[in-house]
Amino acid sequence: MKDSMYLAWRYLCHHRAKTLLLVLSLSVFLGLPLIMRAMSRATQRSLLDRAEATPLLLGKKGSSLDLVVEALYFQLKGAEAITEADVDAIQATGLALGIPIRTGLMARGFPLVGTSLDYFRFRNLRIAEGRGLAMMGECVLGTEAAKTLGLGPGDALLTSPSTLFDLAGVYSLKLNVVGVLQPSYGPDDEAVFVDVRTAWVAEGKGHGHQDLAGAGPDLVLKRKAGTVTANAKLLQYNEINESNVDSFHFHGDPSGYPVSAVIAVPHDEKSGVLLRGRYVDAEARQLVRPARVVDSLNKQIFRFERILEIVVWTVGLATAVMFVLVMVLSWRLRAEELRTMTRLGCSRWKAAQIMGSEIVIMVGASIFIAGVFGIVMAQYGETWLQNLILRGA
Amino acid sequence: MRIGKHGRAGAVVMMTTVITIVLGCSKRAVPDQDTKSERADSFVIYTVNYPLSYFTGRMAPAGAQVVFPVPEGIDPAFWNPSADAVQDFQAASLILLNGAGYAQWTRYATLPRARILVTADGCRDGYLHTEQSVRHQHGPEGAHAHSDLAFTTWLDLRLAVCQASHVRDVLLQRLPDAKDSITAGFETLEQDLLDLDARLRVVGRASKGRPLLASHPVYPYLADAYGLSIQSLHLEPDQTLRGDDWKRLDAILKERHAEWMLWEAPPLEATKAGLSQRGVTTVVFDPAGQPPVGGGDFLSVMKANVDRLECAVGVKACR
Repeated sequence: MKDSMYLAWRYLCHHRAKTLLLVLSLSVFLGLPLIMRAMSRATQRSLLDRAEATPLLLGKKGSSLDLVVEALYFQLKGAEAITEADVDAIQATGLALGIPIRTGLMARGFPLVGTSLDYFRFRNLRIAEGRGLAMMGECVLGTEAAKTLGLGPGDALLTSPSTLFDLAGVYSLKLNVVGVLQPSYGPDDEAVFVDVRTAWVAEGKGHGHQDLAGAGPDLVLKRKAGTVTANAKLLQYNEINESNVDSFHFHGDPSGYPVSAVIAVPHDEKSGVLLRGRYVDAEARQLVRPARVVDSLNKQIFRFERILEIVVWTVGLATAVMFVLVMVLSWRLRAEELRTMTRLGCSRWKAAQIMGSEIVIMVGASIFIAGVFGIVMAQYGETWLQNLILRGA
Repeated sequence: MRIGKHGRAGAVVMMTTVITIVLGCSKRAVPDQDTKSERADSFVIYTVNYPLSYFTGRMAPAGAQVVFPVPEGIDPAFWNPSADAVQDFQAASLILLNGAGYAQWTRYATLPRARILVTADGCRDGYLHTEQSVRHQHGPEGAHAHSDLAFTTWLDLRLAVCQASHVRDVLLQRLPDAKDSITAGFETLEQDLLDLDARLRVVGRASKGRPLLASHPVYPYLADAYGLSIQSLHLEPDQTLRGDDWKRLDAILKERHAEWMLWEAPPLEATKAGLSQRGVTTVVFDPAGQPPVGGGDFLSVMKANVDRLECAVGVKACR
C-alpha cells in the first residue's frame, strides 16, 4: 500500500498543474456548502444569543425587525424614535428596568450609542482600560472601535456631522475617551458609548454657551424685559469639559427627547408578562420580544439557505461529474502506461491501488483545504455575514 | 473497460465522502440583574445632602452604610464632584437625590438609573420656583431661561416626611429582612418632624402675614408651607454689606416694612447692627444642607431654628 501511495504521489507531483486544478475544484465542491452552513449557523446563533439576552424591547409601532436591528445591533435602519418619557413610564410601572438606547449618529465610522450606565451592567460589559462614563461629554469605546481608531483613554473623538452641507446645522461634538471595554464578541465591540444626554447634545438638542446674563454689547442683538437675544457671535461650545459642563442645558422638556428604543429588563417572569400586557393595546408603541423577531429572521434566512444549498449542491454535482470525467479520460490516456506496468509484473489490483491512492491524496488535500478555509471563514466571516444579513434584513 | 471500473470506484469513494466540520463558538452575555433582597452589611447608600443622610441614617438597619461625601464647607447644592467621586456614587447600592434640581452636578453626571431614588418626586404637584433668571435667545429655539427651582424642599417638614417615606419604601423593598428596624426608625423620625411642623404652623399663624426678608432665596418651601411672607435677597452672612446692598435693602424696607430677616448663618456684627438700626431683627434659620460643624444633628439644628422663629414672632419667650 505504501508503494502504491508513493507511486501515486510521484505521479501527482509530476502532473502538478492538473493535480492543483483538480484539488482546487474539489475543495470548492466540498467546502462551499459546509462553509456556508457553518457560517450561517454561527451567525444565526450569535444573532439569537444577543436577542435572547434582551428580554423586551420597546419602540415605536412599525417594523419590529427594524427596531431590533437598530437597538440590538446598532445598524442604522431609521426606526422612528420614541421619547425619554417612555423610559420613565417603564420605570414607573415598577415591573422592569428601562434602559434607553439612542442611535443615529456616527463617530468616525462607528455607531454612537447613547444609553445609561445600566446598559453596561445589563450586558456584562467591563472596562479593560481607563474608567467608565462619569460625566456628559465622555465616551467609552468598544474594543474593535478602539483598535481600529487607535484611540484610548485621554484621547478625543469627534462625532460625524449629521448635516455636512448645512452651515447652520449641528456641528461635531468632541468626545473625551475615558475607557475601552473588554471584548464581548458582539456589536458592542464596534460601538462608541456615551451617556444618552451626550447623544442629545451631539444631535443639537442641548448645548452650552457663554453666559448671556453678563454678555457684552458685541454679543447681544437686543435686551428687553428680562430677555436677551444673542447674535451669531455667541460662542457655543463643541466640547464638554469640567470648565463648561454646567453651562450645558436642554431646551424644553427633556422627557420629550428622542430615544430609539428602550430595553426593558423585567424584575421577574411575572413582571415581564404583566408589562407585555400593558402594551398589547398601545396605539403608538410596541413591546417586542427580540428573540422571537430574530427567530423569525433566522427562519427566513434558513429558507433562503435551503435554496442556496440546492444551487451549490447542483454546481457541486457538476464539479464531481467533471472530476470523474477528467479521471476517466486521464486513465484512458494512461492505458499504455498501465499496460507497461502489467508487463513489468504489476497486478491489476496493484494498478487499481495506485489509481485509488491518487484519488485518496487529492480528496484528502481538498478536505484539508476546505477545512482550513472553513475555520478561517467561520472565525472572520461571521461578522461580515451578520452585517450583510442585518443590512439586507 | 477495466480502467473504467477503477474510475467508477474512485467516483463512488469521492461522492460518499462525508465531512463534518463543527465550527463556531459563541459567547453569550448573561444579564446581570439586581437581586431583589440584599444584605444590609454590604448595602451602601449615597446621599446628595445632609438632611437625606440624616433621615436615612435614622432608618437604615445596622450594618448599612450611609455616605454623604460632600466635603465640609462646600454647599452640596453647588458641589462639583470629580470623576472619582462620581464613580463612588455609581458603585453605591442606592443613590438618594433630593429632586427639584438640587445638586446641579447630577444633571451632567452619569449615574445608574436603576439605583437612583429622587426622594421629593411625587410629594407635591409641582416644585416652587425662585425668582426668574434672565431669559435669553440664540438660534431658532426661541427665548428660554435656565431652570431656577427652589430646592430646599425639606424646610417644608411635611415634605421632608414624604421624602423620608420614599426612602423608607425603597429600603423596605431592597432590605426586606430589616423591615422592623426600618419601620421603627421611620416612625420616630416622622414624629420628630411632625412635632416641628406643628410648631412652625403656630409660628406661621402668629406672623399674620407680616413680611420677612431672607438673605438668600432658600426659604420658598418654608414660606409656602407655613404661610410666611418672605422676600429674598442675595447676601452672604460672612461678607460685609456694601453701599449698594444697603440701598437695595432700604428700598425694599420702604415697600415691605419687614421686622425680621432670616439668615442661613449668623451675619457679621456690622450687618446685624445695621439691620438693628433699621428696626430689623436678625433671625438665623440654618437650612441644614450640611452637617452642623459644632456638633448636633439635623433635628437639633431645626429645633434651634424653630426656637428662634418662635422667639422672633412672640410665640414663646426668648431664651
